Amino acid sequence: MFKLNLKIALRNLWRNKGFTLINLGGLAIGMACCLMLLLYVNYERSYDQQFKKLDQIYLAKLKLKVNGEVITTGAVPYKLAKAVLEEIPGIKNAARLYSLNGQKLFSHKQNKFKLNSYFVDPSFINILNYKFLYGNSANALNEPGSVLITSATAKKLFGSENVVGQSIKWDNRKVLKVSAVIEDLPKNQTIQFDVLQPWAFLEQINPEIPATGWGSIDCSTIFQLKDNVFLKDVNDRLKDFIVAKNPEIKSYVYEPFLFPLSKTHLWDEFKNGKVVGGRIDQVRLFTFLGLCVLLIACINYMNLSTARSEKRAREVGVKKALGSARSTLMGQFLLESIILAFVAVLVAFVLLEVFLPYFNNLLDIKIFIDYSSYTFWIVLVGLALITGFLAGSYPAFYLSSFIPVKVLKGFKGSTGSLSIRRVLVIFQFSLSICMIISAIVVYRQIQYLKNKPLGFDQNFMVQLDLEGELKNHSRLQAFKDNLIRNGAVVSASEFASNFTGGGSITGNLSWPGKAADDNAIINYRSTGFNYIKTIGTKVIAGRDLSKEFPADTITSVLLNETAVKRMGLKNPVGTILSWGDNPPLTVVGVVQDYFNESFGKIVEPTIFYYNVNKSSVLLLRLNPNQSLSSSIQAIKNSSEEFNPAYPPQLTFVNDGMKEKLQSEKLLSVLSNIFGGFAIFISCLGLLGLALYMAEQRSKEVSIRKVLGANLSDILILLNKDFMKLVIISNVIAIPVAYFLVNHWLQKYDYKIAIDPWPFALALLASVIIAVLTVSLQTFKVAKANAVDALKYE
Amino acid sequence: MIELKNIEKYYSSKGIKHYVLRHVTTTIKQGEFVSIMGPSGAGKSTLLNILGMLEEPTYGTYEFLGEDVTTLKERKRIELYRNHIGFVFQAYHLIDEMTVYENIEAPLLYKKVAGAERASRIADLLDRFNIVAKKDLFPNQLSGGQQQLVGIARALAAQPSIILADEPTGNLQSAQAEQIMELFKKLNVEEGITIVQVTHSEKNAQYGSRILNIADGVVKDDITVASV
Repeated sequence: MFKLNLKIALRNLWRNKGFTLINLGGLAIGMACCLMLLLYVNYERSYDQQFKKLDQIYLAKLKLKVNGEVITTGAVPYKLAKAVLEEIPGIKNAARLYSLNGQKLFSHKQNKFKLNSYFVDPSFINILNYKFLYGNSANALNEPGSVLITSATAKKLFGSENVVGQSIKWDNRKVLKVSAVIEDLPKNQTIQFDVLQPWAFLEQINPEIPATGWGSIDCSTIFQLKDNVFLKDVNDRLKDFIVAKNPEIKSYVYEPFLFPLSKTHLWDEFKNGKVVGGRIDQVRLFTFLGLCVLLIACINYMNLSTARSEKRAREVGVKKALGSARSTLMGQFLLESIILAFVAVLVAFVLLEVFLPYFNNLLDIKIFIDYSSYTFWIVLVGLALITGFLAGSYPAFYLSSFIPVKVLKGFKGSTGSLSIRRVLVIFQFSLSICMIISAIVVYRQIQYLKNKPLGFDQNFMVQLDLEGELKNHSRLQAFKDNLIRNGAVVSASEFASNFTGGGSITGNLSWPGKAADDNAIINYRSTGFNYIKTIGTKVIAGRDLSKEFPADTITSVLLNETAVKRMGLKNPVGTILSWGDNPPLTVVGVVQDYFNESFGKIVEPTIFYYNVNKSSVLLLRLNPNQSLSSSIQAIKNSSEEFNPAYPPQLTFVNDGMKEKLQSEKLLSVLSNIFGGFAIFISCLGLLGLALYMAEQRSKEVSIRKVLGANLSDILILLNKDFMKLVIISNVIAIPVAYFLVNHWLQKYDYKIAIDPWPFALALLASVIIAVLTVSLQTFKVAKANAVDALKYE
Repeated sequence: MIELKNIEKYYSSKGIKHYVLRHVTTTIKQGEFVSIMGPSGAGKSTLLNILGMLEEPTYGTYEFLGEDVTTLKERKRIELYRNHIGFVFQAYHLIDEMTVYENIEAPLLYKKVAGAERASRIADLLDRFNIVAKKDLFPNQLSGGQQQLVGIARALAAQPSIILADEPTGNLQSAQAEQIMELFKKLNVEEGITIVQVTHSEKNAQYGSRILNIADGVVKDDITVASV
């Protein structure tokens, strides 16, 4: 029986190649989307799962009150790790984690690379079990001069893996000895590094660290509990831990708590010290999208299968009269859909393998199909079974319900089933329209953010790390002069750190009229002279810092507009500020607000002061009259001349700005792709419905033609019903889409107004696409020879 | 074998009853060959459908093999289809996706006849109906007469005690029709299979042993055909 059913199912699929192709195409695309997203979700969920005692490992987070808002940061005082380990029971291990600004130069003979390095307490490698290829976790970080590297780093620097005992030069200054080589870190790990160095080394080059107070938050700290039962107790004790050590900072809250490492990757958004979401939202959204596309594909199958009911009805009637039970018939229809689902999975699988590299590239992740994993095969087979079942259940139920005497007499499709099919099509189209609208709105928001004036000129601007010879004042000055003289740059200025990254904050700044309970947190950035000219922004009042004024190196500062507003200064220029132990500072200029740290967020209040020693980056404004490549080459040549030990690494500021829109771009691309597929599959569904209708109404159309209706009358008659469905879908989809995009836009301080045209466009597009799809069929019916349909009966 | 008592069938629309069958009472014995005749719309097909349990009468009782089957559970009805009733349709109603062989095999599969037995029965039927050469063809590759032969072979495969045929020759040319009717007669006489057919043709009716004349839902005549 099964064999026969199988044979008939295959024959059926083969005979109706058109239907099979439409169904197969829809299901395969749906499944490929779904599989792709499942892989992505699985990848995101796999973060940090490689660690053995993951459930006992926590990162310290700190609640901090900044400008009236409680924020959560991963930075904690240096002293926290040791004090907590000693004073709070239940903690097995604690390790600090700190990286100097940016990458550092590591060299071995002629091989020079700038690498990501972390300074960690020795227990770090006991808490997280890395796989040691050479050396071991017991003593790898015991000596200040020892260094642990990954296998890729070893190959880069030495050309081989077993390099324990070899020496590496750090920052062209200190010679270190390789103590261990570990396996490369998988990309799905939160803590990424090329090199680990002992904390003792950091304290050698930065001797003030042990003396740094409780109010300063600088490093990350990782804890391992003895057992998870201690978690609540530890968190209770941690709450007042820091303010008990230093009651003065109580007004800034300073409440540390433990956050599981396993959740760190996906849950990285906090509000009022409570985790509210983060990447998980994106993961959930993509899961939802993937399932929607699959569902749309399943609905398609249902529509197309039931649409062919007239053809199948007789078969059902005969079989029932021959003594087939309903369950047998249902089994047969289900078998058919499951076979199709399995073929679709194979096609989806090919699509997946072809498009995975693009997807990886797009998302900057590394997903691959693990053929040796049982889970993968189980999911694959499960997906095919579930899809086949889901898609086949309704047709099976519907087709097997035919009453033999009725279908054998001449089948007239019941209107009841048509209405279910209509509901399905409305559902499909509503989803698709929602996706189209969202895609348009996301795209417009990105365009808006991209085109919004940044307040500074991001083009023709590069940055270079200040290191080696360039740390020397006079050499740096000579370097700058040289660049300006040879016409490569028009202006240069030092800056605190990576221009497109964040920076330091302080709560110590006071100004005239500051309320006693005002816990203002102000950003501060060190700069050189000509800062404003270099970044291409404007001075609103006063002047830029300049070497013409000797006081500018000691007591002059600049504020940005937001800082002036925050401080409520009426005449900011000339205002005297006090900041910690510094001499009184005079505001000499106000800088226009500019957006260099994020696109959609409001600007933070910021103070700028002159200090070349505290600056780690040199900003360069390239000569716009010279070609980009020749300017860059000139800078590189100069750098190699002045600072031969360091490879010149220039980064473009506009590249850094582009990266900030990465997640928006991802959302846009994915909603475009999935929205496109959803619409495409939905159209296949509509085509199915149109085919069904064509079968149903061929006689009616013929009679009308005989009575004198012309082609356009009939086209209007036939298309009208479908237009109704599409319009209803729009009526449902538009409010839902409005709600969704409105919700999404909330997270931006600067956003587009939601105007009607994306909605109008989606409406128009859906109607036009539907008309074209349906007309493909209706035209055929309308053109058909009337006699052919009337001959029967 | 079949006992109909006071069978009535009507459709009501807007409160007006539309009678198709009225007060049909009759008995069909094992081994009879009954032809139901009458003008279009007389209720012949409805009567046959009721006999085949494809439709339920509005009133009256229907006993099949001594069992009241007026209202029957689906499972039970399928049981009767599998073991006692074979249908032959005017439009043949072969399953397009199955070959001749598979079409004949289908009822045996439903009846769960074992493989070897199945093969021998089908081989026997193909042989008897002279269609061995056609067993791997699909229905649309056959002429109407050949399709009907397959239809009858299929009806016979499960070795039913009764064959219900709704205008079995309605779509056939007269030469083919004659061949089919001869076959029915042979089955009836030689194998004692009860046959009930609906027909328009006086000539075809003569092959049977009894004629029920129906007009306006009422049995007008019940004639026994004199054996030739």
